[in-house]
Amino acid sequence: MLFQSIKQGFRNGIDTMIMLGKIIIPVYFILSFLHHTPVIDFIARSFEPLMGFFNLPGEAAMILVMGNLLSLYSGVGAIQALSLSTFEITLLAMMLNFSHSLFIETAVATRLNVSGTKIMALRLGLMLASGVIFGTLAGGVLQQWM
Amino acid sequence: MDVTVVFKEGLFGSLSSVFDIAKVVIPLMIAMQIAKDYHVLDYLSKFIKPVTNFLGMSKESGFPLMVGLVFGLAYGAGVIVQSAKDGNLTRRDMVLLSVFLASCHAVFEDVVIFVAIGANGWLILASRILAGVLVTYAVSKRLDRINGYDDLLPQTDK
Repeated sequence: MLFQSIKQGFRNGIDTMIMLGKIIIPVYFILSFLHHTPVIDFIARSFEPLMGFFNLPGEAAMILVMGNLLSLYSGVGAIQALSLSTFEITLLAMMLNFSHSLFIETAVATRLNVSGTKIMALRLGLMLASGVIFGTLAGGVLQQWM
Repeated sequence: MDVTVVFKEGLFGSLSSVFDIAKVVIPLMIAMQIAKDYHVLDYLSKFIKPVTNFLGMSKESGFPLMVGLVFGLAYGAGVIVQSAKDGNLTRRDMVLLSVFLASCHAVFEDVVIFVAIGANGWLILASRILAGVLVTYAVSKRLDRINGYDDLLPQTDK
């Protein structure tokens, strides 16, 4: 019985990794390709004022957008492809943990007969609130500590 | 721009990050499967009555709450729909469970993936659970006051 569980768990782990790999590898590839073009610099510069508010670099905007529209794992791929500090990774991870894969997960939530718009607003609100609390307000302290 | 350099960078970089994640995700999946097969959550959900009480839910909400928290939104929603069909959950429970699980689900998996790429997991885990509890508590207090759930229901009839 225990052996069966371990085997099944291992198989689930491999399935998850295949699913993750299918998302992370292409995202990583595309971003490392874009790294050699002016595209990322352009995005980074455009979003610097907005992301700077959260004590994040401009290219972090891309990670948040990808994580929310696609999935948490595309956010992971994007974080890996860009070189970020521990503080930046933790803050982005926290923000993405609150709000990610909005299309799919909102669809799941509406099966429970609650308003999808409200659930989405709640999650985006939590994402922004965590960004303000841990990035804008506590950012200085956390950057020192990490 | 040297295409082979870019290609190599993409290949090694992405494979090593997938491998880093595998090192934590596979053991986690094994632990979760053992927990599932041995009905650990069934057992644990008996002890979280103070939590469901605090959040203003019935004690029947304990099991779906734990399932969603550990295994994710899809599993949690499945259990909630089933319990509702069996008549164990009230409308209020469903609203509160949705609010909690929308902000806080699959916590171990989601946190561990980011720990694998260098984030501080405790901070993420704590903030997520705390936010889920606070928001659900606030909504439950509000439901007490307005005494109706129309505000949280979808506007169109199903």
